[in-house]
Amino acid sequence: MTLRFPNLSAVRAGRTVLHRTDLAIAPGERIGLVGASGSGKSTLGHELCDRSRADGVAVAHVPQSPDEALDPLRTLAFHWSEAERGLGLAPDPARRARLLAAMDLDGADLGARPWAWSRGMQQRFAIALALIGRPRLLIADEPTSALDPLAAARAMDLMDRCLAGSETALLLITHDLALAARRVTRLVILSRGRVVEDGATADVLDAPRSSEGRALVANRRWTARRDAIAPGRAVAAAC
Amino acid sequence: MLKVDRLGVTRGGRAVLDEVSLALAPGRTLAVLGGSGAGKSTLVAAILGLVPSTGRVTWAGRPVREIRPTLVMQEPRAAFNPALSLRRSVLEPLRGAVVSDERLRRLCAALDLAPALLDRRLGAVSIGQAQRIGVLRALIAAPSLVLFDEPLSALDATVRRRTAALIASVQAEEGFAAVIVTHDLGYASAHADEVAILHGGTIAESGPALEVLHAPRSAPGRALRDAAVSLGALETA
Repeated sequence: MTLRFPNLSAVRAGRTVLHRTDLAIAPGERIGLVGASGSGKSTLGHELCDRSRADGVAVAHVPQSPDEALDPLRTLAFHWSEAERGLGLAPDPARRARLLAAMDLDGADLGARPWAWSRGMQQRFAIALALIGRPRLLIADEPTSALDPLAAARAMDLMDRCLAGSETALLLITHDLALAARRVTRLVILSRGRVVEDGATADVLDAPRSSEGRALVANRRWTARRDAIAPGRAVAAAC
Repeated sequence: MLKVDRLGVTRGGRAVLDEVSLALAPGRTLAVLGGSGAGKSTLVAAILGLVPSTGRVTWAGRPVREIRPTLVMQEPRAAFNPALSLRRSVLEPLRGAVVSDERLRRLCAALDLAPALLDRRLGAVSIGQAQRIGVLRALIAAPSLVLFDEPLSALDATVRRRTAALIASVQAEEGFAAVIVTHDLGYASAHADEVAILHGGTIAESGPALEVLHAPRSAPGRALRDAAVSLGALETA
């Protein structure tokens, strides 16, 4: 069943950081939420988390850095038990083995604390943790930006493989349109707290309708130095 | 000409940089690539003389420290004293020497910075502006060699591309050689003349940027290329 989130909005310190937004997410959909820093992407992700919980929709969130997901003083086994307990699930060694194997963590020492693992392993563990309760919506907020490209590609590939064929919808939050374009079938572009594009990935890339969408699409690839902006022709220094 | 000759760094009895040799001509750009722990930042620290090392680093035959190479750090918010005006931080590398108003104005214009921003403190500028001011500080004393340690990774995708283009423009004007440590193969492919791929503290391969990036010969090079393509950072050739 399609998840419907009408009237999402957010005000912080008296300022509207997310203007009224309606979002519908189909089961198993792969959505990229893309925008510049400060456009409201993470805020929309948090609003979706809160609204899902309020509506009784199973939702999980993977933050940008495993530091935000894992307590450095607790073992990884403790994190797993706590996540099961928080979801009201009985301990299930078979589920644990299946999810850890899916994220290429079988055989890893769960008696260790997070810092004994590489950052890539920690982030893959955070993704496995997020999938324990078979969420209907997985919100991954810049899930690879704290990783080197080798660890990032591996985490993304394994997450994609884990989600393939499942009913879990993915909302991938990223500033990187090139990354989203490789990974999702629908793009939602945010600018200054407003959705300015929402459509199939190919359509948005081919014919963005907004100026922000056009700028992101035009800048998604690196331009060789010979074509670089000449001094004095740079756009206004708003960023 | 920068010449890095059999540079080695040992930490806890383990070689984190092992017999690394490189050369870079004036005005050229070398991107240093590799996974986490490959030794990239250690290489930068060793070139700058910030860690004990073996081997030699020279510029035109002289010890490199004599030409005072400068560094642009990864995280601009950690690169400045927040209690000082940015102008004071920017002028620090001059060690009391005077920079002409004309040069300061020209560098600011080249980096798309309003000169009045320098009268602010760190907290009153955007992160993109702070990073460009970090570049300004690195260039103020007209160095022949500038090292950049992940200079764009704190910025969003659009600001990354703009900042890289501005650095390239100012490099064309100033003529410094640049060593850029980066995880972003797209950045290297667009802006580097040469690349060196580090793996386990040694150079797995090096050569002209486009050649190495699009047809890597080493296993670490191929792994990085495949990861970058899968993340959308690098177009397939």
